[in-house]
Amino acid sequence: MSYRLQRMPVAAPSVLFSARVLSVILALLTAAAVLALSGKDPIALGGKVLSSTFGSRFGLEDLGLLFSPLLYCGLAVAVGLRIGAWNIGAEGQFNLGAFAATGVALFVPGPAWLLVPLMALAGMAGGALWILIPTLAKAYADVSELITTLLMNFVALLLVYWVATGPWLDPSGMALATTARLSVSVPYVWGIVHWGLPVALMLAVGLAVMFAYTRWGYEVRIGGANPGAAAYAGMPVQRHLILVMLMSGAIAGLGGMMEVAGTVGRLQGGISNNYGYLGIMVAVLARAAPLGVIATAFFMAVILNGGIVLQSQGLTTHTVLAITGLILFYAAIADEVARYKLIPTTGKVTPKGAR
Amino acid sequence: MDILAGLIQTAFLAGGVLALAALGEVLAERVGVVNLGVEGLIALGAMSAVATVVITPHPWLGFLVAMGVGLIAGMIFAVATVIIRANQVLCGLALTYMGMGLAATLGKPISGSPVSATFQDIHIPILSDLPFLGRAFFSHSLLVYLIFLVLPVALHILIFHTRHGLNMRAVGENPAAADAAGISVMKMRFWYVSLGSALAAGAGGYLTLVFVPSWSEGVVAGRGWIAVALVIFAGFRPINAVLAGLLFGFVTALGFVGQAHNWPIAASILSMLPYLGTMALMIVPVLAWQRMRRLMAAPDSLTVPYFRDQR
Repeated sequence: MSYRLQRMPVAAPSVLFSARVLSVILALLTAAAVLALSGKDPIALGGKVLSSTFGSRFGLEDLGLLFSPLLYCGLAVAVGLRIGAWNIGAEGQFNLGAFAATGVALFVPGPAWLLVPLMALAGMAGGALWILIPTLAKAYADVSELITTLLMNFVALLLVYWVATGPWLDPSGMALATTARLSVSVPYVWGIVHWGLPVALMLAVGLAVMFAYTRWGYEVRIGGANPGAAAYAGMPVQRHLILVMLMSGAIAGLGGMMEVAGTVGRLQGGISNNYGYLGIMVAVLARAAPLGVIATAFFMAVILNGGIVLQSQGLTTHTVLAITGLILFYAAIADEVARYKLIPTTGKVTPKGAR
Repeated sequence: MDILAGLIQTAFLAGGVLALAALGEVLAERVGVVNLGVEGLIALGAMSAVATVVITPHPWLGFLVAMGVGLIAGMIFAVATVIIRANQVLCGLALTYMGMGLAATLGKPISGSPVSATFQDIHIPILSDLPFLGRAFFSHSLLVYLIFLVLPVALHILIFHTRHGLNMRAVGENPAAADAAGISVMKMRFWYVSLGSALAAGAGGYLTLVFVPSWSEGVVAGRGWIAVALVIFAGFRPINAVLAGLLFGFVTALGFVGQAHNWPIAASILSMLPYLGTMALMIVPVLAWQRMRRLMAAPDSLTVPYFRDQR
């Protein structure tokens, strides 16, 4: 019996899932091999990461603080992917959310119970505003959102850097490149972990329910999978596209607000810490499923925390970016390879030359 | 007048990075593969060029090493996207992350230190001494002339005036027809994607050996993404791509001049100009002239992998 490789139009979910897990394992093995080649002991380093992350309450709280922004950014990208839009700009929207929330905290007087919701709204509006031009350009002029959303990241980073070192610089003169400490903050829920995390988890569940059980969610999914068919069936694909992309920006913006008002406490350059870019990987690994994002964001938080733990070993946060790229690379390949199936060739095989 | 001459001079310097990277992307996209890894490739090239020059003070060697590193990275990318036929967007993002992360990690020891050997400006008799033109156009290193004159013309002739170029374009427009005509789609895509990546990494080498003579992790600053956008704006044509690169070099130079002359605008705001300009260039022409869309259309099979049994 002989076999041949047949490419299937779609891969079975179980095969896809195993392919994803395998690609993550392969990426980690590759990283371990590189570490071993450079004279470090990957097993000891891995053990150190796990013990300092899960071994103490302190480590777990740190993990929670990394988990939250990754959830927001992962969900933002995932929501966009549902309608077939690549939001590579979560990084910029995250910054704008932080910027807008800081603006409210610095210049609007009021009690905390009123200010915090107001800051959340401002953050969402800032994030949505930051994706508005790419959204309209995609919807009405068919300009690729891949590049426009990304270019806006650089503008956002420069804007935050500018206000943090210029107009909004801490007037006390103690800091060089940050705003003053915000007068209000997101309340804590567990140790130093603030409400940003439970809100993000609820958001993930809410989005999952909306995509699975509402007419809107159904139309968005069809609009993403096959825009032509969706339009033919009378679904307002363009309206959904605009709304979903703005929603995506708003989610990333909310993440930025939680980061500045919960974790960091003041606005500074580089507050987004690559979360927006890592969010792309979080969403892709989860196949854009909101509940899957919870799992992949948690995994990514462990990796990111590992990078921080290992900084004393000569690794930088950029090493984490390289490992993220490696995972993404293997995942892309695994996605394609998972479609192939070994099929036994039945029937007689005609020998060469015989007619 | 002196300001303008300096502006044009800086425009060539700054635009060279974008122009060379955009030329590389033109090669890849003409055969139907979008390479979003340019940003990472520039970072890798910039870092390895500096690392080479630290060991041996020969800028040409640094530039060649940068291109070599780009070629290898491009071949890895091409194995994934052309041979395995994985999603080009994902692989491109992955390449960007890997390139940036790897360059920052490996380049940490040399970060911030000035480059000892850079490309020197060549002095052309008579021309370099002309009052205005001399400074603006004729006081550059050899690489600048290569990027703005030799390479775009050569690539234009290759793509539009040779049989091989016709085959290239056929692979990008309709790979099934090209395949039927006996052109090896895989081979064509594989080598031009790899070669394009080598040029992108070369742009990184140019960045640290000509323009900003030092390596730091933020030195690339989105230039790779601007280059990808410029290719679309340039209608996938090499000469247009170089001109677009020059235009953006000019925008960047404007920011420098503004800082040097203490214009009452913050440096960060001036630094936004290239990104906002790129946004405008991507959106406005499409809205303004409907005909542009057809004239400047992307190759028909861009981002679509080719499966022989599915034509």
